Order: sequence, then structure tokens, then C-alpha cells
Amino acid sequence: MTLFLAAGLLSPNVGLIFWMALAFLTLLFLLSKYAWGPITSALAEREQTIEDSLTSAQKALAEAKQLSADNEKARREGEAQAQQIMREAREAAEALRAEQVEKTRAQIRTMQDQAQAEIEREKQQALAELRTEVADLAIQAAEKILHENLDAPRQKKLVEAFISDLPKN
Amino acid sequence: MDPVSLAWLSAGIGAGLVAIGTGMGIGRLAASALEGSARQPEAGGDLRTTMIIAAALIEGVAFFGLVVCILLTLKTVA
Amino acid sequence: MTNRFFRAPLFGALLALVMVGTIAPAHAAGEDGEFDAIGHTMDGNYLDFSPFGKVELPRIFLVRKADGSIGLDVYGSTKQALLTGDYVMASSYADEAHAEDGYGDAEESAYGEAGYGDAPADEATATQEAISKGKHLYGGLTRAKGDVIVDFSITRHLLFAWLAILILCLLFIPMAGKYKQGIGRTEAPRGKKMNMLETLVLYIRDEVARPNLGEKTDKFLPYLLTIFFFILTCNLLGLIPFGATATANITTTAVLAIFTFIVTQFAGTKDYWMHVFNPPGIPWFVKPIMIPIEFLGLFIKPFALAIRLFANMTAGHLVILNLIGLIFAIRAILGDGAGWGTAVPSYFLTVFIYGLEVLVAFIQAYVFTILSALFIGMAAAEHEHHGHEPHAHEQTVGTEAVI
Repeated sequence: MTLFLAAGLLSPNVGLIFWMALAFLTLLFLLSKYAWGPITSALAEREQTIEDSLTSAQKALAEAKQLSADNEKARREGEAQAQQIMREAREAAEALRAEQVEKTRAQIRTMQDQAQAEIEREKQQALAELRTEVADLAIQAAEKILHENLDAPRQKKLVEAFISDLPKN
Repeated sequence: MDPVSLAWLSAGIGAGLVAIGTGMGIGRLAASALEGSARQPEAGGDLRTTMIIAAALIEGVAFFGLVVCILLTLKTVA
Repeated sequence: MTNRFFRAPLFGALLALVMVGTIAPAHAAGEDGEFDAIGHTMDGNYLDFSPFGKVELPRIFLVRKADGSIGLDVYGSTKQALLTGDYVMASSYADEAHAEDGYGDAEESAYGEAGYGDAPADEATATQEAISKGKHLYGGLTRAKGDVIVDFSITRHLLFAWLAILILCLLFIPMAGKYKQGIGRTEAPRGKKMNMLETLVLYIRDEVARPNLGEKTDKFLPYLLTIFFFILTCNLLGLIPFGATATANITTTAVLAIFTFIVTQFAGTKDYWMHVFNPPGIPWFVKPIMIPIEFLGLFIKPFALAIRLFANMTAGHLVILNLIGLIFAIRAILGDGAGWGTAVPSYFLTVFIYGLEVLVAFIQAYVFTILSALFIGMAAAEHEHHGHEPHAHEQTVGTEAVI
């Protein structure tokens, strides 16, 4: 009995082959037509969506990075520019100050020179006046002394010669 | 000893030999695969798949042996 | 929270089912003292709900009648077929009881002339007796007058294959409908069932089909998915109490392997056929040896597929049933006490093997699918000679060498 069954265990059954083939073909047909198509296409679509969103996210990320890099660059440039401007301003101010100082100094010098020249002139004038005065006085004195000897123009010439012989100053 | 007993004996011995052979084969396979995946853990997935396939193939041979053993026990009666 | 409340009773129910499933066949065996592990594993023309009884399945025969005409005999059950008197039992217990060598004679009569027509009275009594004892379901039937050409009877395994098909259709067609509605097209799948099945589908596509088939994945993916889920469902149905494993039947696995064989041959490219009939890069004097080996390899591959799946599924069930049978064997030899003593370790071992069987159910479905994908991929690969795809070539050699 057991042996008979064991033999049955290993021997294929022709009727069952037919039924099984039919059953499997039916299953293959049903599932291929109604199940696997939609399922695999949906899965592929989802993967595509995920891939797309990943790509677009990556793109957005790259863009954001680019943008922030741009911003950074602009900021740096602005900063550099500001510094440049400040430096220039400082330089200009410095130059202006130096110029002003120089100008003032020059003015002072001019004024000094002018003053000195004035003083000199005044001095010369005073000296000249003094000389004239002295000459007049001397003439007058000499006139008085030499009132009798010499006529006036001859005496004056004499005195002037004397004076011009005097050392300057 | 009559032929039936001999056939049954040989079927039993054959089944035992099949078990020894398969055991050794799959054992060596698993050992190598483990070693490989221990050395290179990142290749573990591939190794496992290949290991299962190879184990299945070894098993297939073992089943051929077993089928012969079963046939041996059956033929003696008929 | 609700999940937690549900889980405990569910687990309990599962455990109870496991117990019933493992004990039920044992109980059935206990009735007449004979434990029949193979009978429970193999195909039959009845559904076994022991200890509640058996449900007989319809018998359909394509027959050549006594007058030489060909016809179709349809009966609701084996019992009916026997009671009409058109059919007799090919190998009955009565015969076995009468003579030990009855088996050989019975087989002869099954294919030759009906040898029982001479003694209708004896036969009728024997049949009645067999039916009353429930023995008529074991052994074959032969037509009293004429021959059975093909036995198209609906068997237990076929019924469970149909059940698997029904389950798969009920699982996947609504799921496809959900995808069609737009659920899961762009966002994550919704619900446990959808997530679980999708994981398996994706696993088959990404881990099984893609690495082996490459660009041709889309073409063969439906076949691979169908075969994977069909085998998996059949395997798991066999683990349900009162269930039967359609894949523990050499016929089923042979049919599946034949389908893989056919698909492989149709997928074959020129390269593939050249590899078989004119292997490149091999000296001419080796070719006469190589070509027959390659040619035989074509058939051995699906043969190994069929045997592997069949033997794995059968072996697991036989181990479970034999572990339980051990209890009764020991009780018969050493008495009741020893029987009870054996029951405890035997029970836990059975539960362990049962868990292993769940694992094997998945692994064998996976192995069958991945080997199918491998064979199809090898046939469909359009590799330039040497270098482009050394991987596929290596595996070809490996497979040939192992087989």
C-alpha cells in the first residue's frame, strides 16, 4: 500500500499535467493582463517621479548654491568697493588736509615775507627819511657854520658826496 | 541476502552518502561565502544571492541522488 | 493599540491551527493504527478534513469504451464511480489481504484487459466493503469494460492550485485597480497588504529579474512574478491545516518547469543556439562531446528545477508527518507512557520544522524564480563573444558543471 503510494509520488499524472498547464496559463493570462501591467507601470512611474523630484531637487540645490555664491560674491564686491571708497575718501581727505596745511603754510610764509618786505621797505623809507633829515640838518648846521663861505648848492653837493661815501646802512 | 534486502540497504547507504556529499558541499559553500562577506561586507548581498543559487544547484544534484535511492527501493518490489 | 489587542488572539489562533494541523493527520492515522505519511503528502481524489471526514472530489475520465468509441465519464465522486459498476478498484485492500503480490497483478490489469469482470459478485462485495471502510480512495480505478485513456479527475492538488490562483487574483487584481486609481503612482503605497505585496514585487524585479535579464526585464517580468507568487502561494497553502501542497507534486513542478523551458527556448537568441550546437572557442575534437552535453543540459536544467521544488516541498511535509508518526510508532512498541513522553519533544520538533518549512516555502519559490530568470537570461543575453559579459558566461559554465 505505502509502496504503491510512493510510486504514485514520483509518477506524473497526465490528466493533472493538462489541468495544471491550463490553470497556470489562466493565471499567467489573468495576472499579466489585469495585474502586472498596471502594477509595474505604476511602480516605474513612481520611480520616475522620485527620480525626477530628486533631479529637480538637486537642480534647485545647485541653483540655490549658485545663488548664494552669487550673493556672497556681490557682498564681497560691495564690501571691497565700500572699503575702496572709504580708502579713497580718506586719501582725499588726507590730501585735502595736507594741501590746506601747505596752503596755509604758504600763506603764512607769504604773509611773513610781505611783512618782512614791508618792514624792510619801512626801514628803507625810514632810513631814507632819516638820511634826508640828517642831510638837511647837517646842511642847516653847516649853513649856519659856513654861512659865509659857501653858497648853498655847492655845499649841498659836497654833503651829498659825503653821504654817498658813507657806508650803506 | 536476497536482492530486495540488498537494494534497500544500498538505497539507505546511498541516501546517507547523498546527505554527506550535500552537507559537505553546502557547508564549504557557506563557509567560503561567509569568509568572503566578512572580508568584504559590501559584497554581502551579491554573495548571498550567488550562494543561494549555488546551494540550490548542489541541492538539485542531491535530489537526483535521492530520487535514484527512492527508485531503488521501489524497483525491488515491482 | 487596537493592533496589540488583535495580535494576541491572532497568535493564539495561529498556534491552535498549527496544533490542529499537526495533530489532525496523526489522529486520522490513529484510527486504524497505520500511519500513512506519504498518503497525506501525495495527491488524491479527496479533501482530507480528518478527523471530521473526507470530501470526495469529482472524477473525470477520458475512456475508450468496450465498443471502441471514445467518451467522457464524469462522476461526482469516486464512490459514485464505483457504485455505478462501470469502474472497479485497481488495487484494493481486499486484494492485498488475499495476496501479497496483488500489487503487480493489479497494475497489469490497470493497463490491460479488465480482469475483474469475471467475478462481479465478489467484486461488488469487495467494493462495498472498501467504501464502508473508506479505503476506496486509495489506489487507482479501472474501467470495468474498456480502458481509461486519461484520468482528468479533479485532484486535491489541482483544487489547491485553483485556490492559489483565486487568492492571487483576489490579491493582485484589486491592487492593480488601486494603482490604476492613482494610489501609489506618485506617493507611497497605502495599507499593509499593498506595501507587503509591493515589497515582494519589487524584490523580484530588482533582485531577481534585473540582474539576470538586464534590458529584457520588462518582457519576462510578468512570467517571473506569476511563477514566484504561484509557487509561494501553493507552498504556503500546504502549511495551512487541512491544506495540500500543490508543489509537492511532481506533475505540478514538472508543468512549471516545462513553462520555464518553453519560455527559455523562445527567449533564445542566435548566440544561445550557437552556444549549444557550435560552442565557440572549443577545439573541434571536443565538440562531439560538448554538443550532446550542452543539448542534454537544455533538458536537465528544467528537470532539476522540477525535482528540486518537488523534493523540497515533499521532504518537509514527510519530516513533519514522520516526527508525529514517531509518537505512534513508539507508543506501539514501548507502550502508552513512552508515547506520551515522545509527544513532547516530537511536538516541539514539529513546530521547529514547521517554521523551517515557512522559510523553505519562500526560499524555494525564490530559487525556482531566480533559476528561471538565470536560464532565460542566459538564453536571451546577446553578448559579444568573450569579454562583454563574462558574468553570464561564468554562470553558464558553473551551471553546466554542477548539473
